[in-house]
Amino acid sequence: MVRKEDTVTLISAEGFEFIIDRKAALVSNTLKNMLTSAGSFTETELGEVRFPEISTPILEKVCQYFYWSLQFASGKETEFHIEPEMTLELLMAANYLHT
Amino acid sequence: MSQPKKKPFKIEPFKHKVEMDPRYAEKTWKILEDAIHEIYNRNASGLSFEELYRNAYNMVLHKYGEKLYAGLETTMTQHLQEFSRVIEAAQGGLFLEELNGKWSEHNKALQMIRDILMYMDRTYVQNSSKTPVHELGLNLWRDTIVRCPTIKDRLRDTLLDLVHRERTGEVINRGLMRNITKMLMDLGVAVYEEEFEKPFLDAAADFYRIESQQFLESSDCADYLKKAERRLNEEMDRVTHYLFPRSEPKITSVVDREMIGHHMKLLVEMENSGLVSMLTDDKYDDLARMYSLFRRVTTGLQTIRDLMTSHLREVGKNLVVDPERLKDPVEFVQRLLDEKDKYDRIIRSSFSNDKTFQNALNSAFEYFINLNARSPEFISLFVDDKLRKGLKGVSEEDIETVLDKVMMLFRYLQEKDVFEKYYKQHLAKRLLSGRTISDDAERSLIVKLKTECGYQFTSKLEGMFTDMKTSRDTMQGFSSMMANCEQPGEAPTLSVQVLTTGSWPTQSGARCNLPTEILSVCDKFKTYYLSTHTGRRLTWQTNMGTADLKATFGNGARHELNVSTYQMCVLMLFNMADKVTYREIEQATDIPAADLKRCLQSLALVKGKNVLRKEPMSKDINEDDVFLFNDKFASKLYKVKISTVVAQKESEPEKQETRQKVEEDRKPQIEAAIVRIMKSRRVLDHNNIVSEVTKQLQARFLPNPAVIKKRIESLIEREFLERDKVDRKLYRYLA
Repeated sequence: MVRKEDTVTLISAEGFEFIIDRKAALVSNTLKNMLTSAGSFTETELGEVRFPEISTPILEKVCQYFYWSLQFASGKETEFHIEPEMTLELLMAANYLHT
Repeated sequence: MSQPKKKPFKIEPFKHKVEMDPRYAEKTWKILEDAIHEIYNRNASGLSFEELYRNAYNMVLHKYGEKLYAGLETTMTQHLQEFSRVIEAAQGGLFLEELNGKWSEHNKALQMIRDILMYMDRTYVQNSSKTPVHELGLNLWRDTIVRCPTIKDRLRDTLLDLVHRERTGEVINRGLMRNITKMLMDLGVAVYEEEFEKPFLDAAADFYRIESQQFLESSDCADYLKKAERRLNEEMDRVTHYLFPRSEPKITSVVDREMIGHHMKLLVEMENSGLVSMLTDDKYDDLARMYSLFRRVTTGLQTIRDLMTSHLREVGKNLVVDPERLKDPVEFVQRLLDEKDKYDRIIRSSFSNDKTFQNALNSAFEYFINLNARSPEFISLFVDDKLRKGLKGVSEEDIETVLDKVMMLFRYLQEKDVFEKYYKQHLAKRLLSGRTISDDAERSLIVKLKTECGYQFTSKLEGMFTDMKTSRDTMQGFSSMMANCEQPGEAPTLSVQVLTTGSWPTQSGARCNLPTEILSVCDKFKTYYLSTHTGRRLTWQTNMGTADLKATFGNGARHELNVSTYQMCVLMLFNMADKVTYREIEQATDIPAADLKRCLQSLALVKGKNVLRKEPMSKDINEDDVFLFNDKFASKLYKVKISTVVAQKESEPEKQETRQKVEEDRKPQIEAAIVRIMKSRRVLDHNNIVSEVTKQLQARFLPNPAVIKKRIESLIEREFLERDKVDRKLYRYLA
């Protein structure tokens, strides 16, 4: 049983919801700030973050990256494949999310 | 397997959406500004982090970073000015509360603002080298609140007032204090120092300057130290509760300086309660307190040490030169030992075994022990007393402790050779009269002396022990021979100790006519001894022997008298006559006058042991006296020991004589040292020779420079040395 506090919902520009583990989301410094900030922002309270400027495929890739990064950090060295055509947008998202 | 061919990858310039609302920046900033207001109003729960972050992100991305930063600065300043007005308005005790409350609000808000402006912090701030948001917030707080003229002084005064109130015994809100000092520390070490620590230290200095003055007037030294210690602990306690650890050394040094450093001299010299009386009264706790407090000040220990040394010297000097004390050498040494024990104990229990104090103690002892030229003699007498009777029934370890203590005093002596001289005399007496209790103790002391001063020092002493042993063997051989070939009975039994000349302290010129009965036995021994040891010369040391006589008195009472050889010679005269004059005795025995008088004194004038009577009855022996056999002599004991009136302590002329001998003995030693030095140095000036000689001979005695000079002159006369022809101060060694 996954508790609600252990997951975070990320919502793309198109309204797709990605429910991922909280610790995966914390890979992003921006998300980490949003979810742990001392003040009571809506994100902290609902455990839900809306990204009006990130499209669904990019957000999906980002989520994949979060999990891959966790694995990588625990010593499993695999390659993370990125399709060339989404590189730029992904780059911008990464900058935004500070990952 | 063929690899898929990689397509050449082309990066196209990113096409920005150029159609931007010209009022975009204004609008975005408005959103953020409102958010900041909301945050400061503690109303942030409706805000979306992502939205604010995205807006700030976009502003920075679209090169409006500067506008964002400046806006933030202005908005925050506004809020802080508002805070400052509120804080100023707070009355009395609420001031700090208000300040503290606003500080925590600001902190919270600052954190949130920093979070949403994180992107700006990451890029714009770094690229244009501005102060990061968090630090900016702290700086603004520092400048608008803490250093605001109306708050700055009030804050400092309030803090100092609280500390002062706590020092005078009030209870204050330590938690609040801690929060405020922490705030100052958060604003930077410099702020903490400037706004609080420095005035705090100044105030403490003033406070303790006045208080120490009051304490000095109202309490004695011990009390003062207790109060000072309590104050010191209070300050340390204060630091742990609401100051920063780095303040501890500073504040304690203020207390040290004001309470201890400035008054050290006054404290140690305080009448009836200062260091001296603490030492005299064995106030271990007070002394320990003084030590631990004074140690905190640079010259503190030195002050204690100096006064202790001078006090000790004073006490020791009185002890050593007091003519009353000189009457009993054993008591004299015992007092020295007691004094040493006392101070050892003080140093051990109160001065944490401080090496420098031990050294001071040693040097003080060395100083005053050598003030009295008779110390070496007395120490030897003390040992003599202990080894004769003092150690009866004492365990081996205790003997060792006593001996160790004596050795410690011995180490202080400068004139070790004088000690050796006396020790030799005393040891000789002990050995010859068979009075020594423990052979082990004797030997143990010799070993100690040997380790202290080397083989040379003790070789003669050891020679004495060897003589004793060989004598025992010789006597066995002699008596078995006597038993074999002589008619038993009438002849007196003879016991001889053969002593090597040189090893023993001999008094030359000791002569006396032995009674014929004795003489014949002596001759027999002489022939026996010389038959086994050819080429030797035997001389009788009649002044050192003893004899056991069987005497029958008037009422038929029989007693065995234990007497010296001289006394025996005198008493033997009374076998022939009941009445003999002094002159007759002197003529018949040929005993030196001084010895004879002493021996007659002990025979005729000691109550209970007067085997002779004297006419006329008087206290002194005169040359016209007549001596009679005391028929009425009675004693409860069968064996009567008649001790010669020996001057335990040396009389004045004897002392002179010993002194003379010592000086005589020193001459060759000094000469030998000079020759040794000159042989290696070839050329040396006078002062250097003197200092080198002193150094070489230090272990045995402290040579007098005048004597050294004389020795040098004598060596020049005998052409071992010559003066340099040009520089008259230089000496040359002539091989």
